[in-house]
Amino acid sequence: MRKALFVVGLAGLVAAAVVTAAVARPAAQAAPAQIAACTNVSLGFLGPLTGPAGFLGQEQLSWLRFGVQKYNKAEGTRFKVVLGDTQLKAPVARTVARRFVSDRNVMAVIGGSESQAVRVSGKLFQAASLASVSGSATAIDLTKGRPYRTFFRVIPNDAIQGPDIINFVSRNLKARNVVIIDSQDDYSVPLSSAIARGLRARNVNVGRESVAADDTDFSSVVANVGSNVTVVIFATQVATAANTLSNQLREQGKRAIVFGTDGAYSPSQFKPRSGYVSVFAPDLHFDPRARAVIREYRRFVSKDTSGAFGPATYMAGWVAMSAIERACADGTATRAEVVRQLRRTNSPSIIGPNIRFDAKGDLRGGGAFVIYRITNGKYMAIR
Amino acid sequence: MSTGSQSPEPPRIGVDEWVASSEGRRARSVADRLQERLERTPAAAKLVALALPFAIFPLLVDSDYLKQVGIDTLIFVLLALGLNVAVGWVGLLDLGFVAFFGLGAYLYASVASEYAGRHWEAQFAVPAIATAVAAAGFLVGLPSRRLVGDYLAIVTLFFLQIWLVVLINASFTRGPNGISDIYPLKLFGREIVSLSGYYYVTFAAFVVIVSFLYLLGRSRTGRAWRAVREDELAAELMTMPVNRLKLMAFAVGAGIAGVAGALFAPAQGAVFPASFDIVLLITVYAMVVLGGAGSLFGVTVGAVVINASLEALRGPDDASWLFYGVVVLALVLLMRPRWLPVAVLGATAAFGVVVHEIAEQVRPSLVSGTTFGTASVDRLVDSWVLVPEGAVGPDGLPAGALARLAYIGLIAAILALTLIRSPLWRAIALVPVLYLTFCVWENILLAQPAVARFVLIGAMLVALMAVRPQGLFGKQRVEVV
Amino acid sequence: MDWDKLVQLIVNGLTLGSVYALVALGFSMVYGILKLLNLAHGDVLMVGAFMGWGVLGWLGGAQDPAVAVWLLIVLMILVAMVAGGFLGVAIERFAYRPLRRAPRIAPLISALGVSFFIQNSVLLLFGANFRSYESFDLVDVEVGVSWGPLNIWILRIVVMAAALAMMLALWILVTRTKLGKAMRATAFDREAAAMMGIDVDRVIVKTFFIGSALAGAAGVLVGLVFGSINHFMGFGYGLKGFTAAVVGGIGSIPGAMFGGLFIGLAEAFSVGYIEDLTRGRLGSAFSDLVVFLILVIFMLVRPQGIFGKPEVKKV
Repeated sequence: MRKALFVVGLAGLVAAAVVTAAVARPAAQAAPAQIAACTNVSLGFLGPLTGPAGFLGQEQLSWLRFGVQKYNKAEGTRFKVVLGDTQLKAPVARTVARRFVSDRNVMAVIGGSESQAVRVSGKLFQAASLASVSGSATAIDLTKGRPYRTFFRVIPNDAIQGPDIINFVSRNLKARNVVIIDSQDDYSVPLSSAIARGLRARNVNVGRESVAADDTDFSSVVANVGSNVTVVIFATQVATAANTLSNQLREQGKRAIVFGTDGAYSPSQFKPRSGYVSVFAPDLHFDPRARAVIREYRRFVSKDTSGAFGPATYMAGWVAMSAIERACADGTATRAEVVRQLRRTNSPSIIGPNIRFDAKGDLRGGGAFVIYRITNGKYMAIR
Repeated sequence: MSTGSQSPEPPRIGVDEWVASSEGRRARSVADRLQERLERTPAAAKLVALALPFAIFPLLVDSDYLKQVGIDTLIFVLLALGLNVAVGWVGLLDLGFVAFFGLGAYLYASVASEYAGRHWEAQFAVPAIATAVAAAGFLVGLPSRRLVGDYLAIVTLFFLQIWLVVLINASFTRGPNGISDIYPLKLFGREIVSLSGYYYVTFAAFVVIVSFLYLLGRSRTGRAWRAVREDELAAELMTMPVNRLKLMAFAVGAGIAGVAGALFAPAQGAVFPASFDIVLLITVYAMVVLGGAGSLFGVTVGAVVINASLEALRGPDDASWLFYGVVVLALVLLMRPRWLPVAVLGATAAFGVVVHEIAEQVRPSLVSGTTFGTASVDRLVDSWVLVPEGAVGPDGLPAGALARLAYIGLIAAILALTLIRSPLWRAIALVPVLYLTFCVWENILLAQPAVARFVLIGAMLVALMAVRPQGLFGKQRVEVV
Repeated sequence: MDWDKLVQLIVNGLTLGSVYALVALGFSMVYGILKLLNLAHGDVLMVGAFMGWGVLGWLGGAQDPAVAVWLLIVLMILVAMVAGGFLGVAIERFAYRPLRRAPRIAPLISALGVSFFIQNSVLLLFGANFRSYESFDLVDVEVGVSWGPLNIWILRIVVMAAALAMMLALWILVTRTKLGKAMRATAFDREAAAMMGIDVDRVIVKTFFIGSALAGAAGVLVGLVFGSINHFMGFGYGLKGFTAAVVGGIGSIPGAMFGGLFIGLAEAFSVGYIEDLTRGRLGSAFSDLVVFLILVIFMLVRPQGIFGKPEVKKV
């Protein structure tokens, strides 16, 4: 008897919950348009502040904070930064994205730093008309077919990086035998596959290898690299890994040199006798035109450990703040207004030509990756 | 089974006399009394007490973020309930558990996503996935069933690793890219699009599963499971089919994890291999152990408390309130007599004022920094806790050897504190240690709250095992030697 | 047959394997005495690696070391051993000793907590960025023993020699000294040993110290030969070290050495040949699977390992 009552009560509860679920309205439709008074506006930062890519997020955050301080001083505004740590994990990024959507003061999001964070947050931001501007998410699919209509990025995407590397390796380096190593993450696998396809189309012999993202020993992978191979392309997020790889190649008497991608960029950690690295934005430390900015940044942080990853996020913050300020010209602004203003961006940039967005949210004209040649640990931009 | 210590009662059947009397002899803490009260509460009341707050939660909150946290919490509760079957009831340390969660999520992606080109309705998909994952649990259990304790743990951990390697590298799972175009849940022809909708579906799953587990736990099987946990050999001698019981536990736990996965995938809209890692595993373990392995009520509460704390500790805004609140609460609950925590806190405050004053006179840079905390409580303690200039660099890491030494010193001090036997000396030593704790919190932990919370979870697991291995609501087991 | 590649893979495998063997020894000793799976053992290795890194930085870094290179390496290893040893003792005293009489599952959960705590503490103090030993600046990779087309870097030889020396020292300690006798007696039957007047607690503490010191040294060796360390490296080395201990037979010292080298070689060969053997269907990404499968097979078919004796359960 008791059991029967229990079961009946249960069924009732479940039925009620399911009916409520089916009847409940989507919240986004019911939510009123966001109006901000333009006096207390924040930028949300969506990036990995901890976890295996914490160094990337921390560098970006420090440049973003530097940019916000500079902008506020120049324009008399009072922008603030709200932190959203993704820990390089998609579910966390989604939860953080929801928090930004719910926070009425957040008028634009800077990020996501990693492409995965954009994939899980893009639709949410679109539903809330919340703009996001990334300074490092390079995956092609983020803008292909415009899946996320409020997403912008101030850097070129991998559709540029792939062909750039293919051209450089096959034309400039004249490589006939190449090995491509990916590091089993969502950044390196598609990029490696695209490069492999492109090189094969140009009749280059391509070998594929794969290492785990946290591997530190590549000596057995190196043993697989033939003596006729001249270039090993390593798509990695870890500069010390690229360094170990290039030394282990030399240790085993291979003549191949390492061509690293974005994550390998680090003058203090990746310093082969001879090698190359391509990265989505220039390192201002090597750019004589940027001396003033670097000097200012050094005063801001007291200890400058940054490389090429921060300045693009500085620019992302800068264009977002100017868009918000333009939207606020009449005293109030909606998030949709900010998105419209972002589309009209035409801003001088510290990392290249003026920033203007095309209809997909990419840089107009695509932009270009920077390739550095490294000789005895010294970096020199060659493109 | 109630232990009314007020009235003499007849010896209970099935309980050793010595065990029964030992309960009376033990010093009873606040948690003990809570647990006893809980045992006397009828099951239906417990179910209502569990379900009611969940049922009205979305009506009380307006923000999408909090609703999302609510859904996450419910999914964690399901995971904790599933893990509880193997760990709490049968005593099998299953370190591969989150693989079943991942399997459920990926299976949902394979029956309802653009990538798969299908969109099964949830009323078919979820039970089918639960069955499939339970079968997978059975298969994993099959070779593991002969292994005792530790070996089982490591073999299941390896199964988790194998699962991750396959997920990341196989082409049919789209590798590390994951599957990111998962369709929403469709129930009887209606797509569920709102967060509240997802919340109630997850809630319904919770009610079904918790009731199922309640009935299962009181059934013959449930009692047999507990017998296996207490003494495998004895259970076998009583002709219980020990191997089959273990396999069943694996399968049931896995099935529940599968349901959680099947609900997680559409709620996220995407699945990635990186979502099912060791951090998740340890978090779920912390939930089960804190609430009390073996108690349905306990693990549910454990999951809610841990997930809510993790969420509050994400940013520096609410973190400090939670931290200081828990410290004060712990002092009040754990210290006797009643006036002692007040005295200790007062002494700490006095100690802090003196130290702060001396530091300001000797080296002003020791107090001129600013804390990362944004809560009002941080501003309050800023004038009292040492916040040296530049103790933490712009990257959020401790900048000098001193800051790192302070952290390591704090760990050593807390460990040393547990060695002091005399309550008086312990209370006296607590004062500087407490002050050091606050300094480290304001300077180092608050700079990276996202990491600090995992440090706290690790410490909690160790401390809990040493002090109260049965958790908040678990029943202490008395070993009869 | 590409003999150069084969020999190169053997060298790689032996380097990795000697590290695994050191880790396996610690697992094996502790398990032998306490019947406890010390899941935090890998993290002791990680802490040792960070200790060595700290000493390196303190003595001027790899480009400009303040002392001779050999002295620097000896100092790094010694500091890491002492720190690792004390960390191990602390773990035993505070996380495991209170649980001696608890159900078997309790110390395992406690070990999970310790491991999580140590990893995240290091993350908190040193960040997620990989830290570099810069050992390629310390000793250039072309300095070494050349033999035909084969070139073995001198640091590889140092690592193998150091590991071998430590294992030999341990072997002598266990078989020839009074402490060793006490350890063997305690492992055989703790209660009987206590009745014979052996201070079991002290033996356990010393066992933890020695085992953890070896893990700490292994951490420095890893940093030296592979150049970079991070806060979660302990997990992988712990798992592989445990596998080595099981393969060799848990509780057996020669078993742990053999198991370590076996796992190291298996890993190197699977990276080198998996693609040829599966006709390109599985790439080097799947090489870890091979190691895991070896463990699972051993666990199920011969859980006592190659050198172990089957355990007879007393009731």
